Amino acid sequence: MIAYKFLREDGAGLFTSFAWPAPGEWVEAPAEECRSGVHACRVGDLPFWVARNLWEVELDGEVYEGRTKVVATRGRLVRRIEQWDEEARDDYVAMCAERAHELAASAGPGWDAVIEPSRPEGPALLGFIAARIAEELDGPEAYYGERASQAGWLVDRLGLRA
Amino acid sequence: MSEHADHISCRDVVALVTDYFERALPAEQLSLFEQHLNFCDGCISYVEQMRLTKELVGRLEEEDVPVEAKDRLLQAFRDWDRS
Repeated sequence: MIAYKFLREDGAGLFTSFAWPAPGEWVEAPAEECRSGVHACRVGDLPFWVARNLWEVELDGEVYEGRTKVVATRGRLVRRIEQWDEEARDDYVAMCAERAHELAASAGPGWDAVIEPSRPEGPALLGFIAARIAEELDGPEAYYGERASQAGWLVDRLGLRA
Repeated sequence: MSEHADHISCRDVVALVTDYFERALPAEQLSLFEQHLNFCDGCISYVEQMRLTKELVGRLEEEDVPVEAKDRLLQAFRDWDRS
């Protein structure tokens, strides 16, 4: 199965700090959500985990599908998604900020004021803010709808396999 | 349909941080906790400070605490218990 994985700038896992071996080298571990195994994203999961570097990964063995992630017993890095560069990250921030302003115009007072100061914090926060404003307006389904739109933007812009 | 989408607040992070360190959070809650850390620099700093505090305090032995400080702490705990 082909999936995606965000890593830190130094190539380590976001929360485990696991130092990933070179592309092509398999990593194996028992799969247990959030505890063990190779964690990765389907394209729809990407907005929840946006970070500095994005890799295409191949998963193998037993693969469990979680709510916002997949966990496998085997995985390896395939290639870095070079299109997820500074410019793409800035454009994602701009897209989310624009959408957040659009939604904030109909939401309660206060939302609009948080958008611009949050820009420097980067794409993960801006994506969350846009989704939260959508939720404020139209409930949880709108939150997930916004996340799906963000995933669609990433798929189109980065040429990912949906 | 749930009333809220699944995400947690900074206040939740404060409430859950001990369970996070002790790996006691259920998988779904742990996932939301880490999603929050992924975008919230303030909570990243808070969790890091807590982690450091836990490590440093964990290294202290009883004899490392000066007698006066120990007495003051014990008194504070007694007063807290009565309040």
